Amino acid sequence: MADLKKLSEKTPENELKKHVGLKASRTISNTLIYILLIIMTVIWLTPFVCIVLQSFRCESTYIVGYVIPKVWGLDNYKALFQTDFPIWYRNTLVTALCVSVLQTVIVLCMSYTLSRFRFKLRKPLMKFMLVLGLFPGMLTMIILYRVLKDLGLTQANAVPGLILVYIASSGMGYYISKGFFDTLPKSLDEAARIDGATRAQVLTKIILPLAKPIVIYTILTAFMGPFGDFVFARYISMNTSKGMNVAVGLWSWLTPDQVQYKYTMFCAGGVLVAIPVTILFMCLQKYYVEGVTGGAVKG
Amino acid sequence: MASVKLTNVKKVYDNKVVAVHDFNLDIKDKEFIVFVGPSGCGKSTTLRMIAGLEDISGGTVEIDGVVVNDLQPRDRDIAMVFQNYALYPHMTVYDNIAFSLRLKKMPEDQIYEKVTEAAEILGITDYLLRKPRALSGGQRQRVAIGRAMVRNSKVFLMDEPLSNLDAKLRNQMRAEIILLRKRLDTTFIYVTHDQTEAMTLGDRIVIMKDGYIMQVGTPTEVFEKPANLFVAEFIGAPKMNTFKAELVKEGGKYFVKAFGAKLPADGENGRLLGEKGYGSREVVLGARPEHITLADGPAENAIETTLIVNEMMGSEVHLHVRTKDGTDLIVRVPTIQLSKEQRENLYAGATLYITFEDKVMYFFDPESQENLLFH
Repeated sequence: MADLKKLSEKTPENELKKHVGLKASRTISNTLIYILLIIMTVIWLTPFVCIVLQSFRCESTYIVGYVIPKVWGLDNYKALFQTDFPIWYRNTLVTALCVSVLQTVIVLCMSYTLSRFRFKLRKPLMKFMLVLGLFPGMLTMIILYRVLKDLGLTQANAVPGLILVYIASSGMGYYISKGFFDTLPKSLDEAARIDGATRAQVLTKIILPLAKPIVIYTILTAFMGPFGDFVFARYISMNTSKGMNVAVGLWSWLTPDQVQYKYTMFCAGGVLVAIPVTILFMCLQKYYVEGVTGGAVKG
Repeated sequence: MASVKLTNVKKVYDNKVVAVHDFNLDIKDKEFIVFVGPSGCGKSTTLRMIAGLEDISGGTVEIDGVVVNDLQPRDRDIAMVFQNYALYPHMTVYDNIAFSLRLKKMPEDQIYEKVTEAAEILGITDYLLRKPRALSGGQRQRVAIGRAMVRNSKVFLMDEPLSNLDAKLRNQMRAEIILLRKRLDTTFIYVTHDQTEAMTLGDRIVIMKDGYIMQVGTPTEVFEKPANLFVAEFIGAPKMNTFKAELVKEGGKYFVKAFGAKLPADGENGRLLGEKGYGSREVVLGARPEHITLADGPAENAIETTLIVNEMMGSEVHLHVRTKDGTDLIVRVPTIQLSKEQRENLYAGATLYITFEDKVMYFFDPESQENLLFH
């Protein structure tokens, strides 16, 4: 008992012991967390590392049982440019860039409207879009194909057709940005309108600068969707190489008769596809700044 | 620099709630008008309708003789200061103040001149390059005022601009608004729930309740001649004591019977009562705390009360007393008028005799609650 009492006393010595004890337990838990994180990283990164390594393999073009190439070189990348790959790449980039711009504009305007304007049928419209969004997009595939075919926007002309398909329903993706706009004080809009701004100026000069993280998020998702899409792209391009995007084009190399000759090229194509997305993410992530609204209103 | 005229202005919300009923008011050029009332009385809604931030359900709003009902806020040439400042957080103080001028496409050197001049007046020159989040509440409010100031607009609207400041800062800013008003020399419409602000700032005060105007008048008018019981109780702190009493006419003279005492109502009040030809009747009597005096002892015109709470405010004492029938009254006595002995006797439970100064008693109709003397 006496010892216990002595330990519980707040002497500098005891405090130090306690401090050292806390530090030790914190170190242990941190170590465990890091070990877990490293294991997860390895599991996640392995396929990517394999693909990068395979893309530099020059001794053979088919699937092999080892990872590190015996002969290194850029043969696969050079070979890519003898195929339709540049066309696919261009198709993909054009589609993704157009969609990211148009979809971002539509989504942000839609969100701002639903967040700030009060009009009849506003709530029914939102509910309607929610219910509509519950149906899988694939259901519309057949009818979309018929429509686009009649418009002459399939096969070799698949790019404008795809852009149309992707942006057509983009207004329904307003939830997240509307949620964010709702958190921005309305008095900011009102102050700006009294200061002489039009609604459009309020959006571009006040709301968007404050909603930077959400704008970036909208751009990224709008870019990523078409960039990695396979199902619609394959369906609308209908085996016409000129209308394919990268995903569909590269996939066509994985058929049993092709994979023998093009497996390493497939890997090189994969690496090239990853580059713009990686750059985009690295450039934009610094804009995810928190607390941009501090000091706007009393709070 | 413009007159504002509201004719039968009405606001009905989508859920059929009527926020403002037939609001009629003529605001003169360069007048400082204050809308005051408890929360939910429609004062802010009225202001927002003048600003164009709220649709007008009925009636017309004219600024400088032009009906502005269908004009956008930016076309009405008004400036407004919000309760929560509404500064643009991503812009520096300079950019905040310059925002409206830039929208007008004013040359940058002129903008610089105007912004620095306004900053000088408001004492925020040192903060021009800071963002709003790095400012204190008082500084933010100055920036908000600066933003409205540089616009030289026809009408200056303020929606409870001091409500978010602490008491000391509020007093200081109130004085500054008076100076600002002199400097800008334009029409001001000011909304507040604080009767002190209303009394000190306004040329005229509009007292509102449940969407209706209760009274429009100068601070002196609403204080001395309240149109009804609501205005009487709303203006003045501590609030006016009101209670049921009996008006008695005896031999051409008026008396008031309350709490067993009989108080003479002669002088100006008696004359006015006589002019209006009132006989003996029930009334609601109003007496401001500063118009009740302590009597020396039992008398015909003295009411016996028990002291409940003694609030020492420094220069004055607020005595909360209870009459025999359980009515609570507040008496305000300047400390200087109390002798040391009297002060020592002001303990809870002490018996005090009070009496009213007849000149400053207010008579209201128990039914309509209207002021009997000035109706």
